[in-house]
Amino acid sequence: MTSEMQADRSVQSESVPRHEDRFIASEELARLVMRTAGSHLQLAQDDRPYQWSTTAYCDTYDWGIYRAAEAGKALRLRFREYHRTRPDEAFTSARLWLELKEDTIDMSRKERFEISGDAVPAFLRGETTLTDGASGLGQKAAELVRAGARPVVVTQYNRLAYAAPGDRIRITADHNLIYLAVPWTTNADDSVPIRIGPILSRETDVVIEMKWVGELPNWAEELHGYLRERAPADRPSKFVVAMRHLLGEAKKS
Amino acid sequence: MQSETSVVVVEDDPASADVLQRRLQANGMSVSVGRTGGDGLALIRELHPDLVLLDVGLPDTDGYDVCLQVKSDSATADIPVIFLSARGDVFDKVRGLSCGASDYLTKPFHPAELLARVDAVLSQSRRVRGPRLSKPAEVARIGRPTAIVALADAARRERAEQILGPKFEIIPIGAEGRAVDLLVVDADASVASQMGSEGPTVLRVAPAGAPASPDTVVLNDELARIADLAVREHQLGRDVDAAADALIALAMAFESHDRATAGHSERVAGRAVAIAKALGLDSQTCQNIRVGALLRDIGNTKLPLGLVRSRGEITAAERKQIEQHPALGQELLAPFRPLARLLPIVRSHHEHLDGSGYPDGLKAPQIPLEVRIVAVADRYEALRIARPDRPAMSGDAAVQILQQSVQRGELDAAVVAALAAGVRGHDRGEATGS
Repeated sequence: MTSEMQADRSVQSESVPRHEDRFIASEELARLVMRTAGSHLQLAQDDRPYQWSTTAYCDTYDWGIYRAAEAGKALRLRFREYHRTRPDEAFTSARLWLELKEDTIDMSRKERFEISGDAVPAFLRGETTLTDGASGLGQKAAELVRAGARPVVVTQYNRLAYAAPGDRIRITADHNLIYLAVPWTTNADDSVPIRIGPILSRETDVVIEMKWVGELPNWAEELHGYLRERAPADRPSKFVVAMRHLLGEAKKS
Repeated sequence: MQSETSVVVVEDDPASADVLQRRLQANGMSVSVGRTGGDGLALIRELHPDLVLLDVGLPDTDGYDVCLQVKSDSATADIPVIFLSARGDVFDKVRGLSCGASDYLTKPFHPAELLARVDAVLSQSRRVRGPRLSKPAEVARIGRPTAIVALADAARRERAEQILGPKFEIIPIGAEGRAVDLLVVDADASVASQMGSEGPTVLRVAPAGAPASPDTVVLNDELARIADLAVREHQLGRDVDAAADALIALAMAFESHDRATAGHSERVAGRAVAIAKALGLDSQTCQNIRVGALLRDIGNTKLPLGLVRSRGEITAAERKQIEQHPALGQELLAPFRPLARLLPIVRSHHEHLDGSGYPDGLKAPQIPLEVRIVAVADRYEALRIARPDRPAMSGDAAVQILQQSVQRGELDAAVVAALAAGVRGHDRGEATGS
């Protein structure tokens, strides 16, 4: 029997294409950037400014999602949860987010679905369908599930986020970024949470992300230019970096 | 007598470190100082202190990173950390605490406040941690079995000791040189990892008023009977292990006649257990993996000796015969029911996740994690041995070969990642002479 899950559009309405740039910055540069962002934007999580994000990324047995992401065009299937301190397990939360993120060369769109941690194996067995409206991402995700997608890598980091109302512009700094493997043997096993690890690699610098819809305001345009001058902007996604470490292809990074 | 509290201070400023060291020593603590993050981590791993005082600004890294490394290593994760920093922004404090620290103290601080926070963190840490026991002493076992009752509440502890008294000799916590058969702890107590399968039987007691669960027992008159059964069952498990040891000795004797493979199984077993520990598997599973790895090729004893020791070209028919050794091994061990838990390892350690292995062509969801671990350890250790057609490979080169197998979909990625982390760690240790 299958059940249905509705996209939570009240939280994220990112099926609108948006721009996204990623930079790797020193701690000093990151502090400067976030101070500037903080004088123009609101802190996205005023009471939990340094909460931990734990994101489990899925791939198929032929590593099809990773290979497509390396080519710059992939639908990523991931589960994200938030904690006050860093957990050493994934899928511990009563409420986490199943995210479908589709990237093209210069745009990305995303759908989020609320799901409980213990419902993850059933979803990966194809027992839950996603009702996602016009974007069609839910149908594409179902194809990945049929192809055997399962969690393969996890990222964990402290995220500090500033955002404009409606998330038209969002600037984030990810500290303490860690890439980990996941010993996941079968979607048939319902026992979650699962222990994560070993650690594949750690990021010593800070990952800054700027995401926006439409035109950037002047101050943000200047900040974007400042970052482009001082920090490498061709940074691959966290998923790609984690997968390179997992498969022994990290020399590409 | 309670042992001295040990503290590692990670502080790059010599004057600050000196003041801290003298202040803590004056209060009965033993203090070791690391001047860099790397030195501090090495001290923490070596000394396993009761507490770490950690500066945020360090010459080689920052304190957040050190704290994360402490908290992500299962061997040190239970050690409480207090940050000491001149950075007093709320973001810095929240960041430090979210890294797993127990407290964050802004410099300059009053010594009385430091000591009060140290005491508070230590008392909290001692409340949730189980007692540290020395490893079982190598002494002859005469008389009644021994028990330690480590319940936090004094009245409940006394009651448990009264109930157990007729069947067990009750010994005090921390008794040196005494072997312990039974350890009675609160349901939420953590028990030191070194106790493992070689340690005592651990009985967890449900909180007052709570019913028994699969993991806990109720503190009532039944406790003595349940404890007695649990200790006997544990002993039976040890006897089964002894029988397995005899089988392993036979398998090793068979292997030792071949110079090319002598000691290979022991290396595979050691490597497999190291991988299993890196993946956070419990001590019982690690033990299964060890014994399974040692017995995985026992089916070779049923093949013609010349075929098993052949190092030259073999025919397709001979290959097919060799590929029967996992099934033959399973046949050999199957009648010995207590070893049933090892059979998947023995039968399936040559299976591949993509179905290209043998003898059954299983696919990923049908291959348990323990089997995947032994398969990776076996392949790795085989690559490290010289063969007529190739020299022995370095650790890094062998890992790269296995990563290519992961890319092809044959081996488990997380298992190979755990192997790679171990090999890298070993290489780093060799490079630094540690």
